[in-house]
Amino acid sequence: MPSIDCEDQELLEGFLAETTELLEKLDDDLVVLEKSSDDADLLNRIFRSIHTVKGASSFLGFDLLVKVTHKTEDVLNRLRKGELHVTPEIMDVILEATDLVKLLVSDIKAGDIQEREIDGTIAKLLPLLSENAAAAQTQPEAAPAAPCENPVPPVSESVAPPVINPPQEVPQAPQQKSAGDVVIKKTPPSPKPADGKGEDLSDNTTVRVDIKRLDDLMNQVGELVLERNRMIQINQNLQQVDGDKIDFNEEFGKLTKRMNFVTSELQMQVLKMRMLPVEKVFKKFPRIVRSMARDLGKEVDLQIFGEETELDRSVVDEIGDPLIHLIRNAMDHGLEGPEQRMAAGKPRVGTLVLSAVHEGNQIIINIKDDGAGIDTDRVGRKALEKGLVSEEQLAAMSQRELFDLIFLPGFSTKDKANDLSGRGVGMDVVRTNIKKLNGLIEIKSEKGQGSEFILRLPLTLAIIQSLLVEVEGEVYSIPLSSVLETLRVDQRQFHVIGGQEVLKLRDMVLPLVRLERVFRVQKREEQNDFCYVVVVGSADKRMGLVVTRLVGQQEVAIKSLGNYLANIPGIAGSTILGDGRVALIIDPVGLVENGECGSGR
Amino acid sequence: MSKALVAVNTEESRGELIQLVSFNLDQEEYGVDVLKVREIIRMPVVTRVPNTPHYVDGVINLRGKVIPIISMRKKFGLMEAENDKQTRIMVMDVDGELMGFTVDAVSEVIRISGSEIQPSPAVVASGIDQECIAGVINQADRLLVLLDLEKMFSADEKSVFGSL
Repeated sequence: MPSIDCEDQELLEGFLAETTELLEKLDDDLVVLEKSSDDADLLNRIFRSIHTVKGASSFLGFDLLVKVTHKTEDVLNRLRKGELHVTPEIMDVILEATDLVKLLVSDIKAGDIQEREIDGTIAKLLPLLSENAAAAQTQPEAAPAAPCENPVPPVSESVAPPVINPPQEVPQAPQQKSAGDVVIKKTPPSPKPADGKGEDLSDNTTVRVDIKRLDDLMNQVGELVLERNRMIQINQNLQQVDGDKIDFNEEFGKLTKRMNFVTSELQMQVLKMRMLPVEKVFKKFPRIVRSMARDLGKEVDLQIFGEETELDRSVVDEIGDPLIHLIRNAMDHGLEGPEQRMAAGKPRVGTLVLSAVHEGNQIIINIKDDGAGIDTDRVGRKALEKGLVSEEQLAAMSQRELFDLIFLPGFSTKDKANDLSGRGVGMDVVRTNIKKLNGLIEIKSEKGQGSEFILRLPLTLAIIQSLLVEVEGEVYSIPLSSVLETLRVDQRQFHVIGGQEVLKLRDMVLPLVRLERVFRVQKREEQNDFCYVVVVGSADKRMGLVVTRLVGQQEVAIKSLGNYLANIPGIAGSTILGDGRVALIIDPVGLVENGECGSGR
Repeated sequence: MSKALVAVNTEESRGELIQLVSFNLDQEEYGVDVLKVREIIRMPVVTRVPNTPHYVDGVINLRGKVIPIISMRKKFGLMEAENDKQTRIMVMDVDGELMGFTVDAVSEVIRISGSEIQPSPAVVASGIDQECIAGVINQADRLLVLLDLEKMFSADEKSVFGSL
């Protein structure tokens, strides 16, 4: 089946959109189901989803998909009728089947149907459809007591019970507790309607809009913002210059204010249109945590807060990967196994808290575990072993710098790489992606008590708050999200260490970058001892940018420089100032990296 | 690749009329396909962009869009000249992106037939890259060099932009 022979492209697109949506929801539902296995509504919904996928795919002639969904549906049907009961083992198989369905759907999406191996998964589903499978379930106490270290497949147990009880007699209560080693607690998002009907309703109130159109709208609003800025500036000029036309000035002043207000509102509205709840990303985590917990033999209670927090699409798309890596990290390195935890006097089940919250123009995502915490001695030793730092460097490091070592590419405390971790890639991905988003990472950790990763991300990438600075007459804009503080400093306070200018700032030694040097700005004659230092941070790095003057804070729309001027080191884009001139936006991330190279030379 | 220029090379369309915008650069006259020219503007304030090739003058604000400005003189290795009242920026569509090119002066739109375009002589003076010369138009009292701007930036150069 090399290509898709589908006459109606629109039909296919509709199928893909619907199926993708259903499958996304399905994952979430399945994990919840494991916890509340007697929720008939939930089960029915899951059943319906699979059924819909099956129906649509058979209509369009995707045979592989039909086969898998058909068997899965059968198993779900038995669950629904009460012939089977939810156990972690059954869930494993169903989840595996769902994954296979996703794979098949993504093949279709890619327009390239491959002959996938589906018999393996179907073979796992089949035993659940035999009469014996139900019998296996009639042993209510065996499964719940068994810890996950020695999972017993239900089929093998089915040999033991001589009597086949009608499944209705199976006690319900222990079944619920047997749901496995993961308990997923979800705080109900407040506005979410309780029943299915409410959800249908909310679906009807949304409209799918082409993202391109939203982008265009966003651009236009951006322009309006610029015009507004220009108007404000003209107004200011007018007020200063022309004192006598008081009436006109007053009117114009009022107009400017109103225009300012309306534009800001409009801008907010358009921004909100692009917003998605962070739930989009969060909802795949229960599933990931569950399967990881089972693989690692750990018991984890994942708590998710603030999943209704909204942020820009572009950011949502980017934070998925780093979050997965951070969660993996917490599961693999942070949380201990049940025995270890008991020995350390902690509750058997580890807690992993994932939360999102707004703070000003930022979103703060927090991943916190109550595991072993970061062992800085071990981290330091490993970094030394791997040759990532020298002994002297290590000795001079603060607690924080030691934490930061885990972000180095190639760093891992594992001696051997396994499926989950050990290659020293994950945390590097985290750092890279967060940097790309102009975000910051902060680590808090106490040995034995657990660790906490705090991500600070901008809400949107289209319009930013920025600090305008002047470098020898040229105006540059620095994203405010990366600015930590600004200082007015006497240049005589600068020190030079190994050719690198630094500034002692409290307990920190701050490397300095002279913007006029990096950007090769023509120096003007006047020599001033005082200058301004803008302290910027990117992910886990800090540095000071030396500028001539601070101009002010302004909300600016980011304009791309186009393909020809993309990737200029240290420049992230441009924006248009109130007077119509173009100002370049500094990319602190690029500068920090350049700074690193520069200091090495 | 512009349609007009493709047409030049095919036999049957030799007689087709082509419109060119002609401009001056260091005493010489050049022409580009009129369909590629979006607008012609006077010199606005140009913001310098650091760490770019020397022929990039900077960027300008073209009614809310930021576009790069390339100095034709610098790009072609000609003598630099002060901007004067005649200096113009030709905003052109190059590979789907708007770019501005500073030229000494823009003179007129001329119509020529495809058959008037001759292949460029093997050696062209004044250091202009052979690559982007699509042909030469030899009329009684004038010589016009026809440029293909899409060939102006080689693949190498495009990536150089990135690594500089």
